[in-house]
Amino acid sequence: MEIQLLHRPGNTAAKVTLNPTEVCTAESGAMIAMSNNINVTTTTHKRGKGSILKAVKRMVAGESLFINHFEAQNTTGEVWLGTALAGDMEVMTLDNETLVVQGSSFLACEHAIEIDLGWQGFKSILSGERVFWVHLKGSGKVLISSFGAIYPIHVDGEYIVDTGHIVAFNETLDFTITKAGKSWLHSFLGGEGLVCKFHGKGTVWCQSHNPSSFGAMLGGDLRSR
Amino acid sequence: MQDNQYHVTLTGKIADATNIEHASAQFARLFKTTPEVAMQTLQKGPVTIKRNVDQATAIKIRNVLDKLGIGCRILTADEADAEARAATQNLSVNNNTSVKKDSSSPISDTFESPTDHPGLQFKIEGKPDYSFVTVQLPANQTLKVEASAMATMDTHIEMKTKLKGGLGRFVTGESIFINEFTAAHGPGEIGIAPGAPGDMMHVYLNDEVLYLQNSAFVASAMSVNIETKWQGFTKGFFSGENLFLIRASGKGDLWFNSYGAIIEIDVQDNYVVDTGNIVAFTEHLDYKISKVGGYKSLFFSGEGFVCRFSGKGKVWIQTRGVDAFAWWAHAYRPARSSG
Amino acid sequence: MKTEIKGGRAFSYLDVELSPGERITAESDAMATMSADLDLNSRFNGGFFPALARHFLGGETLFINEFANNTKSTRQITLAQPTPGEIKAIELKGQTLYLQPGAFLACTEGIKVGVKWAGFVSWLAKEGLFKIVVKGNGTVWYGAFGALLEKQIDGEYIVDTSHLVAYEPTIKLKLQLAGGIFSSLFSGEGLVTRVVGKGKITIQTRSLSGLAGWINPKLP
Repeated sequence: MEIQLLHRPGNTAAKVTLNPTEVCTAESGAMIAMSNNINVTTTTHKRGKGSILKAVKRMVAGESLFINHFEAQNTTGEVWLGTALAGDMEVMTLDNETLVVQGSSFLACEHAIEIDLGWQGFKSILSGERVFWVHLKGSGKVLISSFGAIYPIHVDGEYIVDTGHIVAFNETLDFTITKAGKSWLHSFLGGEGLVCKFHGKGTVWCQSHNPSSFGAMLGGDLRSR
Repeated sequence: MQDNQYHVTLTGKIADATNIEHASAQFARLFKTTPEVAMQTLQKGPVTIKRNVDQATAIKIRNVLDKLGIGCRILTADEADAEARAATQNLSVNNNTSVKKDSSSPISDTFESPTDHPGLQFKIEGKPDYSFVTVQLPANQTLKVEASAMATMDTHIEMKTKLKGGLGRFVTGESIFINEFTAAHGPGEIGIAPGAPGDMMHVYLNDEVLYLQNSAFVASAMSVNIETKWQGFTKGFFSGENLFLIRASGKGDLWFNSYGAIIEIDVQDNYVVDTGNIVAFTEHLDYKISKVGGYKSLFFSGEGFVCRFSGKGKVWIQTRGVDAFAWWAHAYRPARSSG
Repeated sequence: MKTEIKGGRAFSYLDVELSPGERITAESDAMATMSADLDLNSRFNGGFFPALARHFLGGETLFINEFANNTKSTRQITLAQPTPGEIKAIELKGQTLYLQPGAFLACTEGIKVGVKWAGFVSWLAKEGLFKIVVKGNGTVWYGAFGALLEKQIDGEYIVDTSHLVAYEPTIKLKLQLAGGIFSSLFSGEGLVTRVVGKGKITIQTRSLSGLAGWINPKLP
């Protein structure tokens, strides 16, 4: 499976080239175009290993219950993947490790990767992210997306990431919800409110922009429901 | 493996700029090239001249270059990768000229019409994410522009509003008006910003036909006919918003825009495009709406219906889907005020 | 202080490296990530009364934040706007620049950020009741939704409402109808701003109201 990223970082699209019988698993609704020889199947979980519990978890997580499997038949095929919002993508190669991905940032992965949902505790509710997080486990390529540019922060000790800016992080890291400044008063007055404080040693990938802030700005001009 | 991961990169700085000829000659001799190429390389700014060598070799090269007064640095492969990526993403302060966005598809952020092009002179800036076109109108010429897309103009340009597109655009809730801007008392310019964040394309129609997705029209010369085309119920209904297509024909300039970046696909035989990602396509392509995968996929894949193009021609697709964005934006809509 | 604008024009963000003792002022909620031991201080945006006026009449944020490095080594902070779009930096050496509400992102210590009544013309043009005045010696970072284009004005030029981002004090704004009465009502253009004078203006190549106008008919 080859992944090529085009039009970075503003409106990145991923061109996935599949050899015959290779399978790419992608988030529901991510396909924007593809060659004619691609077979699509839709399942609630990894093919052949379906578990209703995992499907229900996906639903609770606000993710689509279903994921799609794109398989090239006979000849090499291509699938283009995109997202709802403008932004960048990043291809990561896992080597028998686990990557924790914020729910709406998971886009696609190789068939060999195990997709599961993890629970980051009640702090997730305050983090401005989804309650459930996608755990990608195993060896192979994964494709994640962001609102804005993606930049890695190598944490060794502590680092603060504002809520709404987390894309993914190594399992070796953990975060707590805390205040941005020394005083609670200044943190709230300054509009920073709650932030995520990461600790441990590893990498957290952040998105430069916060989708909720943009939504709030745009909301005023939108037609009322 | 571990040893051969050092790169040597020129900084583009030369200690004694007046003596560049000498440095170039020496450099050319060392790297077995012509002095002309060497001089270009030295003046180009950061450029990697040696890849995947071991540390001792890298240091040796640096010592030689140091003696010649040619600035260079030694980077590990990882550092070089990080820098190359940073360089493609960075926009240096006070420098808004062309920025290379991606090494695989070099895109300048400004596109200027060639001077020998048969239509109007124009410039597209802010490519590919926020394309904005500035068109130079000769005296008394008129340009058709999508309603509410005008962003800047000279003060003597006059605007008239025409009801265009008729019922089609009315039904879909799109603006039913196209504005006509005329350079009334001498040449002038007009800047046009579509609502959707994304790219813009220009084509010069030479008695050709191009089909556009309903909201993709930006502007055109008066000599281009803009009509809305009913797709028929089966095609129209299942393709979501695109009950109508815009049919552009005639001779002259046409600008159209996308949500997201534009990817051009050469259809040789068959190609599948999500209905929400079509921007435009050429006349001789046939298309039909169909489902993707089995019936389970139809309802649950999130892809719904797709457009299957067949024949030979070009399809322009956008990297972002309108429906998905509409659903995202839905969550931020204000509640209807009571009463 | 080392600063760099990254992310291209689509998603500009500002990477800042603060040396010990240095500080940077930023718009409320602009911080995306930062070193855990930077100190955050909030203060009224442009003074107490202007801040109140701006907040309640102009819908602006009440506070702006100051991030200080009180440690003994270098610390990082990354700042971004709420909307996607380009960020630009300008060096001020005593001169003044007017910014439209929401365009201010951050500034260095020598810059004074104030507000000025922009008049009803500006308000009618949906550009806000107040304009932001930045002056002093230092760097100001500002931005908007879309790419930023600079234009040298000498005479008069028309800019659609909500596309103006920044302008020099030598530029005056006037409001007018885009065309005749019919056209102005149905063209979707309505009111436009006529900029008059000699100086530089910055426009944004997209606007939030334009985006809303595009997506509104497509909302579920």
